[in-house]
Amino acid sequence: MTDTSAPAQPVRALSLARIEGALPWIALGLVGLLLPLLDDSYIGVIAQRAFIYWILSAGLNLVVGYAGQIAIGWVSMLTLGAYTTAALTAGTATPAWHPYLALVAGGAVGALFGVIVGLPALRLRTFYFAMTTLGFATIVTQVALAWKEVTGGGVGTPGPVFPWPFDPGWGFYYFCFILAALATWMTANLASSRFGRALVAIRDAEVAAEASGVAKPRLLVAVFLFAGALGGVAGGLFASLQSYITPDAFTFEMSVLFFIAILIGGRGSILGPALGTIVLTVLPEFAAPLVQWSTFLYAALLLLIVLIIPGGIADLLDYKNRRPLERHREIVPRPELLARVLDRRTGGEVLSLANVELSFGGVRAIAGLDLEIRPGEVHGLIGPNGSGKTTTLNVISGYYAPEAGQVRLGDAVLPPRAPHLRADYRIARTFQTPRLIGGASVLDNVMIGGTIDGQGSFAESLLTLPRHRRDEKRLREAAMLALAVVGLDQLAAVRADRLQHSELRFMEIARALMLRPACLMLDEPAAGLSADEIRRLGALIVAISRQGTAVLLVEHHADLIFDICDRVTVLNLGKVLAAGTPAEIRSHREVVSAYLGA
Amino acid sequence: MFASIVSYGLAVGAVYALIGITYNVMFSASRVFSFTAGMLGMLGGVLGALFIAKMGLPAIVGLVLVLACGAVIGLVTELLTVRPVLKSIEQHLYVLSTLAFALMVQQLTAVEWGTEAQPFPRLIPIGPGWLDQQFWLPMLACAVTIVGLELLYRKTLIGRAFLAIAEDSYAARALGLPETQLRMASFALAGVIGTLAGFTGAEMLLAFFGNQSILNFYGFVPVALGGMGSNRGAVVGGLALGLFQQAANFLVGGIFAAVAVFAVFIIVLLLRPEGLAGASTARRV
Amino acid sequence: MSITRRKVLAGSAVGAASLASGLAAPAIAANEPIKIGYLPALTGPSSSTGIGINRGTVLAVDEINAGGGIDGRKIELIVRDTQSDPTKAVNAVAELAQRQKVAIVWGPLNSGEALAATPLIARDKVPMLHPCWVDELIDVKKYPMAFRIAPTNTQVGGGANYYVVDVLKLKKVAVISDTTGYGTASVNTYVPMLKAKGAEVVYENHVDAANPDLKPELLRMQSAGAQAIMPWSVNAGFLSRILNTRGAMGWDVPVVGQTTLGSGQTKALLEKPENWNKVYSNNFRQVCFADGKLPERAQEFVERLKKAKIEMGDTLLWWIALGWDGAKMMGDTLKAAGPKADDIVAHWNKTKGWPGVYGTVTWTPEQHNGFPDSEVVMCEVNSLKDGAFNLAPGYAA
Repeated sequence: MTDTSAPAQPVRALSLARIEGALPWIALGLVGLLLPLLDDSYIGVIAQRAFIYWILSAGLNLVVGYAGQIAIGWVSMLTLGAYTTAALTAGTATPAWHPYLALVAGGAVGALFGVIVGLPALRLRTFYFAMTTLGFATIVTQVALAWKEVTGGGVGTPGPVFPWPFDPGWGFYYFCFILAALATWMTANLASSRFGRALVAIRDAEVAAEASGVAKPRLLVAVFLFAGALGGVAGGLFASLQSYITPDAFTFEMSVLFFIAILIGGRGSILGPALGTIVLTVLPEFAAPLVQWSTFLYAALLLLIVLIIPGGIADLLDYKNRRPLERHREIVPRPELLARVLDRRTGGEVLSLANVELSFGGVRAIAGLDLEIRPGEVHGLIGPNGSGKTTTLNVISGYYAPEAGQVRLGDAVLPPRAPHLRADYRIARTFQTPRLIGGASVLDNVMIGGTIDGQGSFAESLLTLPRHRRDEKRLREAAMLALAVVGLDQLAAVRADRLQHSELRFMEIARALMLRPACLMLDEPAAGLSADEIRRLGALIVAISRQGTAVLLVEHHADLIFDICDRVTVLNLGKVLAAGTPAEIRSHREVVSAYLGA
Repeated sequence: MFASIVSYGLAVGAVYALIGITYNVMFSASRVFSFTAGMLGMLGGVLGALFIAKMGLPAIVGLVLVLACGAVIGLVTELLTVRPVLKSIEQHLYVLSTLAFALMVQQLTAVEWGTEAQPFPRLIPIGPGWLDQQFWLPMLACAVTIVGLELLYRKTLIGRAFLAIAEDSYAARALGLPETQLRMASFALAGVIGTLAGFTGAEMLLAFFGNQSILNFYGFVPVALGGMGSNRGAVVGGLALGLFQQAANFLVGGIFAAVAVFAVFIIVLLLRPEGLAGASTARRV
Repeated sequence: MSITRRKVLAGSAVGAASLASGLAAPAIAANEPIKIGYLPALTGPSSSTGIGINRGTVLAVDEINAGGGIDGRKIELIVRDTQSDPTKAVNAVAELAQRQKVAIVWGPLNSGEALAATPLIARDKVPMLHPCWVDELIDVKKYPMAFRIAPTNTQVGGGANYYVVDVLKLKKVAVISDTTGYGTASVNTYVPMLKAKGAEVVYENHVDAANPDLKPELLRMQSAGAQAIMPWSVNAGFLSRILNTRGAMGWDVPVVGQTTLGSGQTKALLEKPENWNKVYSNNFRQVCFADGKLPERAQEFVERLKKAKIEMGDTLLWWIALGWDGAKMMGDTLKAAGPKADDIVAHWNKTKGWPGVYGTVTWTPEQHNGFPDSEVVMCEVNSLKDGAFNLAPGYAA
């Protein structure tokens, strides 16, 4: 009996990594906890400022570092939170509120406007979105200036004073410390949840994220909501620290500071931006004569980072990914483990295309295509370049809507132009060029594939409630198993961009397997593989189909097609040239002349 | 009143339009949205005041020197912030590198030139009137630039090479066009246009480091509305924005005018993300 | 300029050194210097006042120290440039009060930062002396240790209003400001004061200082029948645009308002020198020319500045004088009362008619605004000479 247990080693390596990850936090936490013993209020003020800036940056980190949205004008959240809390406690708009309630209100206002500012991100390109956030920050300051009755206008308004035990001084210090710790905990939880992975997937491999069922709008809205809330709370605390706020305190330089801190720290990391924020808050205090150059230095630092270490501090601290990998690695898939990965039950439906047509401008890419992919079979799709193979895949995936005809799974018509819904139908695919998240581990990349199987909500992930933990455990085990199937389990903890090209192709298959697909579509998976690897790939594909999955294989490697396919369809100029068994196709006269050659 | 709104509106709108064209020229050559357009505008005014008012050079010499500096700064921008990150597939990296560079220049200006607006010298020694040079200088510059660019793109080989790179850089490279040199030339050209905008607009806007942020945003609005890459759209958008802004200033006052501009900007963008004249994004799969 | 910058860098270097050695919190022992915390805005958007005041302060401290200091102890100015940024001011207050344990805080010199710093300095129970004008900054109950050595916004506006209504005898007034805190606060305070005096405010607005075109605003003022324009802003660009537009329109009305109307920066931005005619700005009797001569104390001060080769032409005499007065006041107090906080405050509460170059200062336990109403006057800005001006016409001497 073959050993069906997933190898224990990589999993252990991963949990070791997590403990390594906790050490810096424990150190920071101890420093924060024990700082008051120095009895130096000046250091206390600087530390409080660092905590407050970090609370906002922790949220912004999710937006900028994880989701990849260039929200430069995020200081607007601080402004909104500060004025909301201050105005409510001062009673300028309504009867005076209790400071803690006002702080919550500040967070709520931040959440609301976080979503409002973030919504354009769904429709606009990066630079456009950056500009709108800048414009919004200006608007908020202008409104604060104009709305004199509530905000005090240019003269400003006193900040809230929190009552015992969080009164000004060390009490408030601990308040900021606790909230900063909470913000760190929640954002770290989110980052290591399926939502965090999905965010990074949207950022770096949007197409693959869609194929795995990640719904970008809902996720981004949730993130902007949360980040805005954190920014609003930070604003309320800021108003208290300053004791008095005026519109000119919320400068563009401050916005830039938060933004740069995250990028210096490194995207996709929590520790990096935290260190970045601390450094940038503390730095001006050491160099009094240089204070007018501080923004210049931040900008210079940013330029340096972008040009030389785009990964930021996090990259520098990433020791485990500098350990050399074994050079002559072999990919040894283990198809015998497939039974544990795939669900025999969901197989059994035919994927069919009926009379599909699609043109791009004047070019007829697909001109009346009929195709049937049956469960348990490997169906090859071949043809010369430009015959419409990849376009067909993209139509099935939902990226293009056919102008005529339908795509069905069983009886259900697949909705056109909705690629992220394909995952619900258990239709999975790989891509012509591997789509990966370079900065994430191989395991994280594969876990993306199982995103839709998670049951815990966004909020549950924030607080690591039991359902989230169960989700993570299941996803992790399933991903390790999928990696074992394709033979990459030894590389689970390695950064994906360190893998060889052929390993990336197998990684994509592992990701696709996470969906337990009823239909698996492979787009030229053999490109760039050695002869040995092609053989093993072939065996793997056959094994997958024998579990009941309908496999569609688009390929140029004629040998692979004829070796493993049960049926073959040949396309030429968007039309079916021939369809049948491999033997029939191989001797078909027209196919030979158009494509195969003598 | 009306005459004032129209004259100031068109004049300041012409400056915005030119900054929009600066964005476009940089974008066409490299698919890079650069944060340096506003910076070039600001430098046009500051350097102009430096050469003519502080160093006493004659106006024409000052202008030529300013444009030359603009070209050099454009080249530096390309070399330092665009070329090194073009290899990366992630678009946001060049947004960041150009942003960092623009910020550095802005802060340097703030420290060395000062944070107060400084006077910009009178270029042509004729007295003020309603046809004052404050108004027609930017508009003249805009017209000259538009005509110049049209001639460049349609009549000269290098202009057509620019267009080719903008349309399809892979195909252009395959044809043997030297992409890097063309890109450098585009950025130098953008530098000239940007500083020209700032120089001609400085009698109105003064030599002020804060103009960078203002021009960055208000110079971008015509591009966003008119479509990235469309110079005609930028001109129409810029002039319309100038008029709208001045009218709003008059009708509702400074603060709400800014809110009004921003609101219109956002609404148009949300309805038509590619702008009113732009093309939608290409295939991504 | 270079004198100031050198001095500032020197001061900052000293400051940085003290910051580094700050962990050993020094007690104020026999021969150790007396530390005074100093929060100017020497860089950043609102720095022109700071630079001017700084010249006077540094000169005064140098002279005190050259003359033996305070009973053998030198005064050490611990400078923290706030950069016109309230957050930096807050950080600096914590450092100066807690770590450096300064005897007095002089500044912040800008209202924006002072608004944030004053409650914190009060919380740390450090005596505070500042020259900012915003009314809310002085409150004997909330901030018992804070004293102002300059007029309040109300006094300043009152002086301008008095000139327009009682001296020029004009009834219809247009009041305009920029959109900064100072500008909006001023208009909010002065308009009711004007109305109380029986004037008619025919135009009242806040305009974005970056707006290049003020013609619509002035046209609206003109069509409302305004007989005088009162602008309140420290932004030279904004003020110069008002003057230039008035000149371009050929509209001959007096402009009566903020001190910056008379600054060298505003002058530099004028399209023609005539635009500076019939412009009257706030100033202070002790530093204005009356019948061609400066009052005695000011004349002596100018001689002193000339001897120390301090530049006056690119700034205003009253800023330098104010800086001088602040430092001198602190020096005199430390000599008379010693460095303990309560003694300093008690001494200040008893100050009567202290003869400053800039103003004659009087404080009582109920009144911590030290500048006398009678010394707030208007001057004629196109009479600028060596940083000082003639009294505006119509004043009794």
